[in-house]
Amino acid sequence: MIVCVAVVGQQNNPLYIQSFTEADDALKLHHIVHCSLDVVDERVNNPKKSGPMLNETFLGLLYPTENYKVYGFLTNTKVKFILVTTDLDVRDADVRNFFRKFHAAYVDAVSNPFHVPGKKITSKTFAERVSNIVKSFGMGSTG
Amino acid sequence: MGREVSESCVDNLLIEMVSSYCDRFYANKPELAARRIEAIGYQVGHQLSERYTMERPRFSDHLEAIKFICKDFWSEIFKKQIDNLKTNHRGTFVLQDNQFRWLMHMSIDPSSDGSGLSHDASGALVDNKAAQAASMRLYFPCGIIRGALTNLGIPCAVSADISNLPACSFVVRIKV
Repeated sequence: MIVCVAVVGQQNNPLYIQSFTEADDALKLHHIVHCSLDVVDERVNNPKKSGPMLNETFLGLLYPTENYKVYGFLTNTKVKFILVTTDLDVRDADVRNFFRKFHAAYVDAVSNPFHVPGKKITSKTFAERVSNIVKSFGMGSTG
Repeated sequence: MGREVSESCVDNLLIEMVSSYCDRFYANKPELAARRIEAIGYQVGHQLSERYTMERPRFSDHLEAIKFICKDFWSEIFKKQIDNLKTNHRGTFVLQDNQFRWLMHMSIDPSSDGSGLSHDASGALVDNKAAQAASMRLYFPCGIIRGALTNLGIPCAVSADISNLPACSFVVRIKV
């Protein structure tokens, strides 16, 4: 199950962050997302480690914690997408697919002429679309 | 699924936008009108670059990003690539389009002005006006290029050169 997704801008400014848990752990999840930004920076600045995936937008598993797995995605425009999940065996293909849909939703949201670049995304349509993508995560290929 | 826009609609919109800003909103301040039109282009370029780079790996250097602008980005907007790319390898790039679409269907109304002048003088005046009108219309594509490159992490200044119409070159100077 996906517990948190986030979009982080060029200057590491939060553009959109949303958790999907009943419990009151939003702060903890935000902290995990915050920590993952350092990992993203590290991956980008030391491309040797990532080997053949050089410059790919999908960054893969950023780091596992006790209860969560954190995945990252970095676009050409240096916007980061972060996914925090509780599932222990997640297929890479599913995550890639998720990020592709998430990115498409983001692109549509920022193409709105009333959206100010660099500001938080407040669009309800975007929030709805993201929650649908989150709900359908992992369903397409297993079902 | 790609969505398409009629070319004549875009042409009309551009003409209307330029004339509104130059003749109505900022009739006495052409520099201000130019800045506003460039800013609109900047926003458009900013958004388009996000969309058109969706399915591709990140660029490793400036040249790669400029090549993307010349090939894929230009094809998406104008259905053709940039014809010639020159660089001095020190941060200046010249992108030349031999048949720039947004200038191809341009004409200048000859009836206004120049009626009392001699033939030569009015010819020069019309030429001058044509160049002025064309340069006003180029602030928009300049803004698009600047917006796209800035969003890709390359701050730059873009200017246009129309010494031999309808060919047109865009000069990109990358800020260090």
